[in-house]
Amino acid sequence: MSLNAHVYQIYIAASPEQVWAAVTESEWTRRYFHTTSFVEPPQQGKTYRTVGVDGRPAIDGVIEEMQPPAGGSPGRFVQTWHTLYDAALEQEPPSRVEWTIENAGEGLTRVRLVHGNLDHSPLTWENVKDGWVWILDSMKTLLETGHPLPRVRDDQSLTVPVSS
Amino acid sequence: MEQGSEVFRALADPTRRALLDGLFSRDGQTLNELCQHFPEMTRFGVMKHLSVLAEADLVITARQGRTKRHYLNPVPIEQVANRWISKYAARFTSALVALDDQMIAGHETEESRRPESA
Repeated sequence: MSLNAHVYQIYIAASPEQVWAAVTESEWTRRYFHTTSFVEPPQQGKTYRTVGVDGRPAIDGVIEEMQPPAGGSPGRFVQTWHTLYDAALEQEPPSRVEWTIENAGEGLTRVRLVHGNLDHSPLTWENVKDGWVWILDSMKTLLETGHPLPRVRDDQSLTVPVSS
Repeated sequence: MEQGSEVFRALADPTRRALLDGLFSRDGQTLNELCQHFPEMTRFGVMKHLSVLAEADLVITARQGRTKRHYLNPVPIEQVANRWISKYAARFTSALVALDDQMIAGHETEESRRPESA
């Protein structure tokens, strides 16, 4: 693991297989991952590309590892990460996102996400830092309640709209 | 214990908050590196604080070869903020907005009354 990495961990009341589907299948990702989905189903060793609901490119890279959870061993989904949704971020070299999806008890799954290889991608480092927290929380909420988190508005941090 | 309680307990101690601040400014430090921030504390003391932070899931350890590195996990703090803080902050703000509305309404009433009384 690179020293210059973000590390996140979250517990989700769902099976590892459900979480695996949420990470790797477009029907799930578009519901919590800023509407993005895989253009083609991801395959180990192949390139991938995700797009937003409006068709705009989001991320591309290579699926370096794709091992679903099975028989008590954790699921591993490792993808290189090259941003397409922003011109400045697009100039930076690909980084690496590693998902580890592990059973943590009856009906409980531990998701660890490491976004590393960011040594030469300072803008991406800053850009994804808080973004992943929201993505993971939204995925958890979707799996546990059937609904993703409501979309966050920039102006919503501390004020509430005045009811008319 | 409910996860929120563990987070509050972990955050209640100034040394543990300083450890989190240390990881916030530079993530992925080893125990030795973290100990250097607390020259007055024993290595065992720092380890104990780190284990409380790990129980609350606020610090994640990962091995890199023979080195064990510590990473700040921001997810539980975000969850606690969503569950406990934004709710009350929103209510407080909406109460202020309501108060503001009343004052404006009251002011307008007074203004509209004034010409009549004059």
